[in-house]
Amino acid sequence: MMVEKVKGIKYHKKQDVAIVGAGMTIFRRRLNETGKELSYYAVKQALEEAGLDISDIDMVVMGSAPDAFDGVHMKGEYLLDGAGASNKPYVRVFVGGGTGVFAPIAGYWHVASGLADVCLVVCEEKMSSSHPHPQSAFKYIWDPILDRPLKPNLIWIFALEMRRYMHVHNIKHEDIALVSVKNKANALDHPAAQLAAKITVEDVLNSEPMALPVRRLDVSPPSDGAAAIVMVAPHIARQLTDEPVWVTGVGWSLDTTWWTNRDLYFPRYVAEAAKMAYKMAHITDPRKEIDVAEPYDPFDYKELHHMEGLGLAKKGEAPILTREGVTARDGDLPVCPSGGLLGVGNPIAASLGVKVAEIYWQLAYRAGKRQVAKEVTTGVAQAWGDLMQVGTVVVLSNKR
Amino acid sequence: MVFTEKIIDPRELRHVEGKIELYWIYTSGEAGDYFFKKLRDEGKFTAAKCKKCGYIFFPPRIYCEFDFSETEYVEVSGEGCVVAYAVAYYDKNGEKLEKPEIYALIEMDGTNGRIIHLLGEVEPEDVCIGMKVKPVLKPKEEREGKITDILYFKPA
Ligand SMILES: [Zn+2]
Repeated sequence: MMVEKVKGIKYHKKQDVAIVGAGMTIFRRRLNETGKELSYYAVKQALEEAGLDISDIDMVVMGSAPDAFDGVHMKGEYLLDGAGASNKPYVRVFVGGGTGVFAPIAGYWHVASGLADVCLVVCEEKMSSSHPHPQSAFKYIWDPILDRPLKPNLIWIFALEMRRYMHVHNIKHEDIALVSVKNKANALDHPAAQLAAKITVEDVLNSEPMALPVRRLDVSPPSDGAAAIVMVAPHIARQLTDEPVWVTGVGWSLDTTWWTNRDLYFPRYVAEAAKMAYKMAHITDPRKEIDVAEPYDPFDYKELHHMEGLGLAKKGEAPILTREGVTARDGDLPVCPSGGLLGVGNPIAASLGVKVAEIYWQLAYRAGKRQVAKEVTTGVAQAWGDLMQVGTVVVLSNKR
Repeated sequence: MVFTEKIIDPRELRHVEGKIELYWIYTSGEAGDYFFKKLRDEGKFTAAKCKKCGYIFFPPRIYCEFDFSETEYVEVSGEGCVVAYAVAYYDKNGEKLEKPEIYALIEMDGTNGRIIHLLGEVEPEDVCIGMKVKPVLKPKEEREGKITDILYFKPA
């Protein structure tokens, strides 16, 4: 048994954990398929890539964000049969937007603990069911006494955060818009993409104001979709592939709900989660040791914000790296080579497909046209959610 | 505040009222689309047979829940037999019903599936487990492609 101390928690790992297959549906604003059907398609693809059958699965983890999207209370249970979990140990996990990376973390502990040798992780979101707009569901995450009577819209707080980030580091909107330009262009090579496009910085700056400084093209779209990965123990991985991708670190952290009492310019919740994951993965200098990254990018400034939280850039440095092309697909540190949420779409939990699954595909050299130019060994995926509160981080490596 | 104190009206306390105002438009999905269009347009019932294990799902699904193989649609009669039933005196909001309603779990002929629906043209004391029933549909021009296009099941 390997014993390690992570963040003061004694961490006992029974066995290593590998990812051997991934799948995802197309991401679209509205899909006819039910959430169960979307889950089925994603699982089917992941199983095929892994070379496994549903009967090989020991346990299933479902990640899905608020019930208010699909409009089914306890939707984890509702989605169960589409996730292939009938009569199996099954659990749904949920930390808002952080769920797409948190569900693989839950899958990790299923296998690392030795409870399961083969764990299927499925993430689903059908946002289009929710009316008048998926955004409406977010109105009810606010404190009902202090915030909600003022009728805030979720984009307002992101506008506050973006403004604070720009102010502290003296960053121009032009520099932030480059992220949207890059990710939407990267998405042109993603077969599942909803909003792939060749756009310019001017297009972003001239797009419709949502809650300034946030404009329409700074934001990712709501989407329907599902994604899945298969996580296995080493002796199973060996039978399936010569090149498994290992989960070398996981971390998660939540900051206080009193979000007004934090300085918004820096995502401490991401930094804490990254610290935990890096310690587990024995990473001391992420900027040097991470080859490819998929930070959560529901807004363009968020990619930069999260790069800094992940230690991939110094505070205020992420826009400079972006401008210099370091984060391009052929750069020294490719960031969101999938096209991210800005380009592929943002079906909250199903962003698994462009975060952990994309890093898996990159490290397995299965990313096709999206494969980054440089040689890759280690990558990081991250998501963020709740009331700007949670950071979830997974580090993957093709070397054990 | 003490444990024995009971506040009957929460408005006696300093309070803010709130409401969650959302509504949903659900899609019936691939299999649902097929099933409800057939029901609405032709008054026909569809099940789905697993191409691998042969299990016949009703209502139909595009996948087999047990082995994850694809399925194919098969037409069935829509008739079935009662395997359990409940006689309801209160509605979903807890309001007393004028007349008790009979909810039955119905095993559908030619399938491995069951659905829940109302029984009609029968009194509660005359219902029994194993009773054969058949569907009564709304007139075609009133059908919308919904589960309520079936008004109820009646003794066959
Ligand atoms: Zn079957």
